[in-house]
Amino acid sequence: MAKLLDKQRYKCALGAMQTVQAIDRALPILHSGPGCAQKLSESIGSSGYFSPNIFPCTSINEKDVVFGGVKKLDSTIENALKVIDADLYVVLTGCIPEIVGDDSGEVVSRFEDAPKPVLYAPTAGFKGNNYKGHEQVVDSIIEQYLKKSDKKQKGLVNIWADVPYQDLFWLGNLRELEKLISELGLIPNTIFGYKRGIENINKIPDAEFNLLVSPWVGLSNVKKMERKFGTPYLHYKTLPIGATETSRFLREVGKFAGVDEAKVEYVIKEHEDYYYYLIERYADLFLENRVINKQFTVVSDAHYALGITKFLANDLGLVPAKQFVVDDTPKNVRESIKEEFKKLNYGLEAEVSFETDGFKIHSEIRQHDYHGYPLVLGGYYEKEVTEELKGNFLNIAYPVQDKVVFDNSYVGYTGGIRLIEDIYTVAVSRFN
Amino acid sequence: MGEIRQIAIYGKGGIGKSTTTQNLTAGLCEHGKKVMVVGCDPKADSTRLLLGGLAQKTVLDTIRDEGEDIELDLILKEGYGGTKCVESGGPEPGVGCAGRGIITSINMLENLGAYTDDLDYVFYDVLGDVVCGGFAMPIREGKAKEIYIVASGEMMALYAANNISKGIQRYARTGGVRLGGIICNSRNVDRELDLLRAFSKELGTKLLYFVPRDNIVQHAEINKKTVIEYKPDSNQAQEYRNLAQAVIENTDFVIPTPMTQERLEEILMEYGMMELADDYKI
Repeated sequence: MAKLLDKQRYKCALGAMQTVQAIDRALPILHSGPGCAQKLSESIGSSGYFSPNIFPCTSINEKDVVFGGVKKLDSTIENALKVIDADLYVVLTGCIPEIVGDDSGEVVSRFEDAPKPVLYAPTAGFKGNNYKGHEQVVDSIIEQYLKKSDKKQKGLVNIWADVPYQDLFWLGNLRELEKLISELGLIPNTIFGYKRGIENINKIPDAEFNLLVSPWVGLSNVKKMERKFGTPYLHYKTLPIGATETSRFLREVGKFAGVDEAKVEYVIKEHEDYYYYLIERYADLFLENRVINKQFTVVSDAHYALGITKFLANDLGLVPAKQFVVDDTPKNVRESIKEEFKKLNYGLEAEVSFETDGFKIHSEIRQHDYHGYPLVLGGYYEKEVTEELKGNFLNIAYPVQDKVVFDNSYVGYTGGIRLIEDIYTVAVSRFN
Repeated sequence: MGEIRQIAIYGKGGIGKSTTTQNLTAGLCEHGKKVMVVGCDPKADSTRLLLGGLAQKTVLDTIRDEGEDIELDLILKEGYGGTKCVESGGPEPGVGCAGRGIITSINMLENLGAYTDDLDYVFYDVLGDVVCGGFAMPIREGKAKEIYIVASGEMMALYAANNISKGIQRYARTGGVRLGGIICNSRNVDRELDLLRAFSKELGTKLLYFVPRDNIVQHAEINKKTVIEYKPDSNQAQEYRNLAQAVIENTDFVIPTPMTQERLEEILMEYGMMELADDYKI
């Protein structure tokens, strides 16, 4: 039966145009109706080499539906190649041409000999949300552009983590993961953000292994790369935030990559010493503050829900109330993600609900006894309900409306400190 | 003058919908009725016999070439006996969406004022089987309220007719569309008349008319004419006049009761297949 979905936290698969946008000098070409890009674009922080929403687009109309839109697609690609200087062009299809049955893949294949690569990603909205769309774009790069490499580079690691723009912290997070990997003596390779782009895409097949830091998004990509390029992968499900998880992360990556254990421990000790020095300075705040109470709830995609839950429980000693995962997680991976929420220190376990409906989530938050002021980390949608409960709110996940994020990040040791700063800034400012 | 009777003709591909519709139209003309025929098939051959050839540019081709700002006379031609003829047309096979094309062209006809008050009948000659929402367009939104299914005693024709009835039943629940009956375009199958009567009864409707098979229909088609125009004195011309009379007089409009595949096969076994099997000789 049809129902109303309240406060949805994702977009349709065509939202993956932002994944393309995040690749330096890559250009989305849309085969879609004229309104799609406008509705899917993020207006803050997504302009740059090209606009966030004025992409080349076939803007198909009724005539194209009846007669097929392939001619228009052909000329749009041809002219985009002439007019816009990019390194990579990715044709993304919306619902209409996919339903009508336009053979967009065939049209794109006519540009095989174009001076720059032109790829095709079928991202019709009915195929799923923009998390799936993101995977599809990466899949198209693997499938249509990259070839198996004979020259594997020792120590080169492809890192896959956030979905750009869906996660506003994507740039900072990736840079922080790169930094951590570098400190282990490995060479990180990512494709999103400043000065990465096509050169880094070209290096993907040379990597020694793929590192996926995500509960589920991107798993199909690294599996495909294992089959196609023979590149093994390490699937690290938890976004490392704070000392406990980051140290665990470094140990696991170090072990997988064969990094000398002493070196790994040295890196960890350097970071932890400084981390706990900072924590210690503010120990009285944590101890005396009566505003940040015991229990917390995270409302976000699985990526952040898992990362933050572990951080708040393990590093800050808070107690998880129910956590809400809002990314429409595929059913076949839900159990394994649930298991991760049970792996908390101090014998704690977090109950998790895979729920996409904001109304139901808010009803549960209202009904729960947080034993004091609730701490809610979530999308902007949670601001009102948290205020209603006189709780403490931090906007950390989509939609982010109350902060500007350039390259800030909650990842790693530094990121953990940033998150503590932000949470306690809310706490100390509340009666000022 | 009453309301325009808008009639959709459905049936299996190749069963003779276009031939029957045009000959029926010619019969209605002889009764002094004003008729418009709207071909809803990308092949655009629904008005060939009335126009004396494929003389018509389709609505969709016209929209493609001229844009949407067009005059009615570009897409509506007058044919035999003052009939108004329109071909919806469609994309080339294998591209685009023909269903949406039909929706577009029927909307265009409405906007251009093709449905004038002097019309008594509008026929929609709809291709093959109902394959998507677009092909149900004539029976959606209260356009055609009356449907006839052309069938024969062949199994696949009856299978298609039963399937089409499922579509009609769906739209009948929410709208005013009703099945007016089955028209048999005979293939000289054994016990065809009995079979079609039984089939129609099971569907909750009636066999409106049994059009016998006659090669004169093919001769007329080669000459790009309806039988009534080609050989007005022939027996077959009279059959079509009778069919027209049956349509004029018909007042039995029902919501069909489609049957299961098993029941359909039972009826086929009962009325012919069994005997055929018994008589089978090399």
